[in-house]
Amino acid sequence: MTTTSSGHHDTLAGAPTRVWTLVGIAVIGVALAVMPLAFGMFDKTPKGAVMIADFKPYMTTARLSGYQFELREINAGVHETDTSVAAYLGGGTSDRFAFQSEYPTFTSFYQQWPAIDSKMTGLMNQVQANLGNYLAVAALPSFKLFPWFFVLPGVLLAVFAIATLVRPARWRRTRWVLVILGVGLVAAPGIFQMFQRAPDGGRMMTAFESIETTQNVQQIQGYFGSMAVGQGAIRLEIVPALERSGLDAAQISARFPAVASLDANWVHILNDMTPMIGAMSDNVPDYQAIASLPPFPLFPWFFALPGVLVIGLALAGGVTRQRPEPSGESGEHPVAVPVNEGVS
Amino acid sequence: MIRRLLSFSVVVSSLALAAGALAFEPANAASSGRHALVGTFKLQPGACVGTSVTGTYFQMIFPGGTVANGKFFDNPDSTCANKAYTLTVPGLRGGLVTGKYQPNPTPAFNAQGGALADSIVQPQSFTAIDFSIATSQKDPQTGLAVPPPAISVKSGKLSGQVEAWSASWNKLYFNQGSPKPNGSSPGLTAPLSGTYNSKTHAFVITWTSQVVGGPFNGFTGLWHLTGTFSSAK
Repeated sequence: MTTTSSGHHDTLAGAPTRVWTLVGIAVIGVALAVMPLAFGMFDKTPKGAVMIADFKPYMTTARLSGYQFELREINAGVHETDTSVAAYLGGGTSDRFAFQSEYPTFTSFYQQWPAIDSKMTGLMNQVQANLGNYLAVAALPSFKLFPWFFVLPGVLLAVFAIATLVRPARWRRTRWVLVILGVGLVAAPGIFQMFQRAPDGGRMMTAFESIETTQNVQQIQGYFGSMAVGQGAIRLEIVPALERSGLDAAQISARFPAVASLDANWVHILNDMTPMIGAMSDNVPDYQAIASLPPFPLFPWFFALPGVLVIGLALAGGVTRQRPEPSGESGEHPVAVPVNEGVS
Repeated sequence: MIRRLLSFSVVVSSLALAAGALAFEPANAASSGRHALVGTFKLQPGACVGTSVTGTYFQMIFPGGTVANGKFFDNPDSTCANKAYTLTVPGLRGGLVTGKYQPNPTPAFNAQGGALADSIVQPQSFTAIDFSIATSQKDPQTGLAVPPPAISVKSGKLSGQVEAWSASWNKLYFNQGSPKPNGSSPGLTAPLSGTYNSKTHAFVITWTSQVVGGPFNGFTGLWHLTGTFSSAK
């Protein structure tokens, strides 16, 4: 494994350190290339991309604030029905029992409403609090590409390192390629702001842990059914009762604005909320796939640490120059002299 | 003369082949005892009398429920005392046509998200928004190609597939076919079954289909169709 020609030539002979350097870099390369397979990234990260894309229409300040407004609108309508409408339909008496027995469907819903409201409002608060975290994750390159961010540099590192082990003469040039690849690995998380965004993503994943479960989605589906029934009772029983009492639409709107507002906006609320429930439901498996990956905050380090190691190894490997062969008859043999270029 | 003879022989051969084919077809059908009902399954409108329900209707079972005991989703717009039943009214074609598609119109929804398909059934209100049914070559929820509905009868028992049966509501589509467009039968999805009276042409068809994906993921639609069959011939 000795290059024997005149001039400055690299050699591995007498430089076992460099062999280990290249072996080390090859191992890092192989580890990077294999990592996506080991973590099932090729299967899981596309699901993450789907989840991020599916949530996109809903993850805006306007849309999330809209959901909060709609929940408040339902809450106001329900409470107004239970108080002033009940009093009005009861002839001004405080006989709630008569109202409850006259409108059992609404009464049943009213009893369920505090739990529904608490759950739905809490959910929306949680989602809204993570809007910034979501946007940080969404600003990262597509999750679909993530496995390739490991595979491509890993393969390159392994190929260059192994090729140089086979043909040591390539070391001088390869060394700098390896350094550049290492710098690329270190720089990538910085360029993509992964050190800020990945922990944000981690926080989002933690917050969504209790949201993106089949059990939670089914509970919300159940609440949705209850809300539909409760609103149906207001729309189809209570408002008609108000009309039968002699109030026209304008008077109902003036006397019971929250009820009128809920009645008028119910279809819009359904238009708004139903697809969001669909997105939540559809992405339970996607979330769980992503959640089974290593924690988000570690990801920048999966690039940076191998990058630092590669740079360090490539530089520490140095360049071993051979002195020119003596032209005389002294019979001296070439002497390998390690030169740590780039280090000092 | 030769040309005439040739032409004659070709015609005779073709007729003989056709006759043979015709003779063979019933023999096959007879051997299996099953024959396809190609035409329109004209629907009887749903109706509620007290607690009993007749005609054509639809129910939706919550995830984890059973066909026998529910829990059923209550549609406040149902005209039944038991809101678990959503009644349907025949559409412009009178009902389900087998061997052909009855696709969604364009647009398929109004501005409020109400479904506009009106060939199989008339749009019916479901929690304040109209839903309807269509059968399309490409299932609008999954995007998969599906065959037109096919139903056959053997000894008065109906079987077949309605993969293309798709409910539309709130600008969303829910495949409600059996089997599902990929041929699977998840959850409570059960094949189409029913009875057919060849004299009166009266039929009863039922099947169940689990919703896969979307806001009603995991719910199961229970379809009950009754009426009379009108052959396409």
